[in-house]
Amino acid sequence: MFSTLRSILWAVACVWVLVGCEAGPPPTNLAPAKEKAAQCVEPTQDIRKNHMAYLMKHRDETVLDGIRTPQHSLAECINCHVAPTRADGSPVHYEDQDHFCATCHTYAGVKLDCFQCHADRPEVTNQPNYQHKIGSSESYHFTNQVSKAASLSAQDVKTLTNEVVQ
Amino acid sequence: MSNKAMVYSEVHQSGWGYYGLLAASAFLVGLGLIAFFYLEHTGHHATGMTNQIVWGLPHVFAIFLIVAASGALNIGSIGTVFNNKPYKPLGRLSGLLAIAFLIGGLMVLVLDLGHPDRLIIAMTHYNFKSIFAWNIILYNGFLALAALYIWTMMDRKMQRFYKPAGFAAFFWRLVLTTGTGSIFGFLVAREAYDSAIFGPLFILISFSLGLALFILITFGLFHWTHRTLNDELLTRKRYLLALFIGAVLFFEAIFHVTALYAAEHTNFETFILLGGSSYSVWFWLGHVVLGSIVPLFMLLLPMCRGRVRSLLMASGLVVVGSFIQLYVIIIGGQAYPLTLFPNADVSSSFFDGVINTYSPSIWELMLGVGGVGVAAVMIVIGVKVLRFLPVSLAQADLGQEPD
Amino acid sequence: MSTNQVNEYRRRFMAGLGLVTGATLASNFVLRSTEAAELVSRPDNEPASSAKRWGMLIDVNRLTEGGAAMVEACKKEHGWGNDPQSSAEQQPQWMRVVKVTDKTTQHSFQLPVMCQHCANPPCVDVCPTGASMKRADGIVYVNKHICIGCRYCMMACPYKARSFVHEPLKDQKVHSPRGMGTVESCNMCVHRIDKGQLPACVEAAPEAVIFGDLNDPESRISQAMKALGGKQIRADLGLNTGVRYLNI
Repeated sequence: MFSTLRSILWAVACVWVLVGCEAGPPPTNLAPAKEKAAQCVEPTQDIRKNHMAYLMKHRDETVLDGIRTPQHSLAECINCHVAPTRADGSPVHYEDQDHFCATCHTYAGVKLDCFQCHADRPEVTNQPNYQHKIGSSESYHFTNQVSKAASLSAQDVKTLTNEVVQ
Repeated sequence: MSNKAMVYSEVHQSGWGYYGLLAASAFLVGLGLIAFFYLEHTGHHATGMTNQIVWGLPHVFAIFLIVAASGALNIGSIGTVFNNKPYKPLGRLSGLLAIAFLIGGLMVLVLDLGHPDRLIIAMTHYNFKSIFAWNIILYNGFLALAALYIWTMMDRKMQRFYKPAGFAAFFWRLVLTTGTGSIFGFLVAREAYDSAIFGPLFILISFSLGLALFILITFGLFHWTHRTLNDELLTRKRYLLALFIGAVLFFEAIFHVTALYAAEHTNFETFILLGGSSYSVWFWLGHVVLGSIVPLFMLLLPMCRGRVRSLLMASGLVVVGSFIQLYVIIIGGQAYPLTLFPNADVSSSFFDGVINTYSPSIWELMLGVGGVGVAAVMIVIGVKVLRFLPVSLAQADLGQEPD
Repeated sequence: MSTNQVNEYRRRFMAGLGLVTGATLASNFVLRSTEAAELVSRPDNEPASSAKRWGMLIDVNRLTEGGAAMVEACKKEHGWGNDPQSSAEQQPQWMRVVKVTDKTTQHSFQLPVMCQHCANPPCVDVCPTGASMKRADGIVYVNKHICIGCRYCMMACPYKARSFVHEPLKDQKVHSPRGMGTVESCNMCVHRIDKGQLPACVEAAPEAVIFGDLNDPESRISQAMKALGGKQIRADLGLNTGVRYLNI
C-alpha cells in the first residue's frame, strides 16, 4: 500500500514541477516608460537582475546623507514605469496584477516591501509633469537639472524626445 | 549513610491529564498566533495601544515573563552559586523554566513589533547606546548560558563546567534584569520612570516572582507526576520569599517617598498613589495588600507557617500582585501626561495635558497569553522528553547529590 | 514726596517705557521674513555636512491661532492627519498647536509643537537599530527602512513628537514616504531643505518663523537669537533643541 502511495506522490510531484515550467515571467508593460526614453537608466538585463541592489544602495545614500541623484531614485522609476491610472481612470496600486512591479514580482514570489511606505504611482496633483523627459528643465528636481539641460546637445535632445530640433 | 546518586527521569504520564495540559497550552499558543497574524495584516489600529499609551498589555506580559525567567534561574543559583545542597536537584528544572519563560516573553515582544519581519535587522544593526539593543544581546546570551548550565548538569562529561556555568548564568541574569529595568530607568521624558532605582527594583521583582512561580510549578509537577516531594524543601523557602516581597515593597517605598519629597513630582505622585486615578486602587489593593501584605502574613504567621497550602496561596498572590505591579508601572506611567510646561495647564489636539486612557483589546490579551502558552508548551514537552525532574525528593534523598 | 523726586521718578519711568517700546519694535526689524536666497540648494550628489545646523525660531506673538496655518501646511505637505481606520488617539500628529495657561498667573499663549530636533536627542539614544537618527546637519528623523516599530523612541521623547502609523496606507506623498508599522515625526521637510526651499510650515507663517543655519553666526536666525534670545521647551533637560521660541 505504501509503495502505491509513494508512486502516486512521485507522479504528483512530477506533474507539479512540469506545470511550473512555463515560458517565463509575463511581459512587463513598457509603454509608459517608452514614452519617456528608449532605454532604462541601466541596461535591461542589468537592471532586471540588480535593481534591488541599486535601490538598496541609493536609499541609504538618500536617507543617511541626503544624496538625491535621480539615476537610481525609486520615485523616478515609478514616474517612468507606472501610469497613475488605467485607461478608464481607475487608480492602479502595487497589489493589482497590472502594476508594473507586480507583473514580475508575483511570478517570482518576491514580496514588495517598498510600497508600504513609498507611493506606488506618480502623484499627478503635485507633479503634473511627472512624465518629464530626462534632462528637461521641468523635472521635479528642477533646481538641480536646469544647468544640465543647457548642456545637452541637439542630437541628445533629438534621441530622447524623438522630436525634430529646429 | 548511603551515597545514592540523584536519579532523574522523564515524565511517564501519558493520559488525559498530560495531553489535556498540553492541548490547553497549545490552544493558548494558537490564540497568540491568530492575534499576531491579524495584527500584522491589519495594523495596530485594531489594538487599544495609541500614540499616547504606546506600550500596552502585550508589553506587560512580555516584561512579566522576562522578569520571571530571570527569577526562575534563581533556584538553580541557590544550589550552584550558594552551595545549598538540598536544592541542587532542582537546578535542571530551574534552567528549563528560565528558558521557557524567556522565549515566551520574547515571543510576545517580537510579535508586537510594527515590523516583526525586520527582526534580522534588529539582530544585525546595533545602536550600542540603546539599552534595548543591549537587552537583545543579553537575552540571547542568557538563553545560551542557561542551556549550557543545563548541559553541565545533564552530561557527565561536562560536569567540571557546572560551577563556572552556574556562576556565569547568575551574573549574566543580574545584568539582564538590570538592563530590563533600565529600559524604563533611562527615560528622562517621563516622571514615572527616569530613576536609577528601576534596575535594582526589577532584580528584586524577579527574585520574588521567580521564586513564587518556581514553588507553584514544582509543587504542581511533582504532584501531578506522583513523585514524592518533601514539603519542607518548599516551606524552607518561605522566609526567603517573605524577604524578597519585603525588599520589593521597600524599593517601591523609597522611589515614591523620594518623589513625594520633590515639588515637581507632586502631581504625578498624587495621580499614581493618592487616589488620582484607578491606578492608585490597583497599586494599593492589588500590589501592596493582595500581592505583598497578605502573602507576608501567610508566610510568617505561626499558624500558617508550616503549611504548604499557605505557601502555595502566598505564591499565587505574589504572582498576581507582580503582574498588577508591572501593569501600574508600565501603563500607569504612560497614562500621566508629559510635562511640557511646569506649573501650567496645557491642551491640544494631541491629548497633551490629559490623563490618557487605555482599554486593551482582545487581540492584545490573546497575544499575551500566547506567550504564556509558549512557555507552558516548552515546559510540558521538556519534562516529558528529557530528564529534568528528579524521581523523588523525599527526606532521605536530601543532601546526597554528589558534587 | 517733593516735586523733584516726582520728576525724577517720572523721567526714569518714561526712559524705561521708551526702552521697552524700542526693544519690542526692534524685534520687528530682525524678524523680517527669511529671504530664501539665504538657503542654497545643495547639489544632489553632495552629502549633508555638519558645517550647517538647521534650526527654527518661532515668535509666538506673531502667530495667528498659535500656528494653525503651520499645522495645516505640514498636513498638506506630508499627507498625515487623515488615516481612516485609526482612532483619534491613534492618529499621527507631526505638529500640533498647544494652548498653555500658567496656573499661577493665568497668562495664556498658544504655540506649535513639533519635533524639536535636539542636539542630544533621547530618541536617537534609545533606538535599538539606529533607525532614529540625526543627520550631519542636525535634522532628527526616522530611517524607516530599518525601523522595526518597537516604539521605544515614542516613550523616550519628552515632547511627544513621534507618532506610530497604525494602519496600511495608500497614495502617500512621493516626497514623504510613510507606512504602517513604522514611527514618524517632523523631519523639518528634509526634501525641501535639500532643494534650497523652506520647510512647509515656515512658508506658511513667514512673519513669525525664521529658519536658518544655527552654526553660522552671521545668519539671520543666529543674529535674531543673539538679540532676542530663544527659549527651549523643557530647557532643563539639556537637549539643546534646534527649534526655539520667543515669548513663551
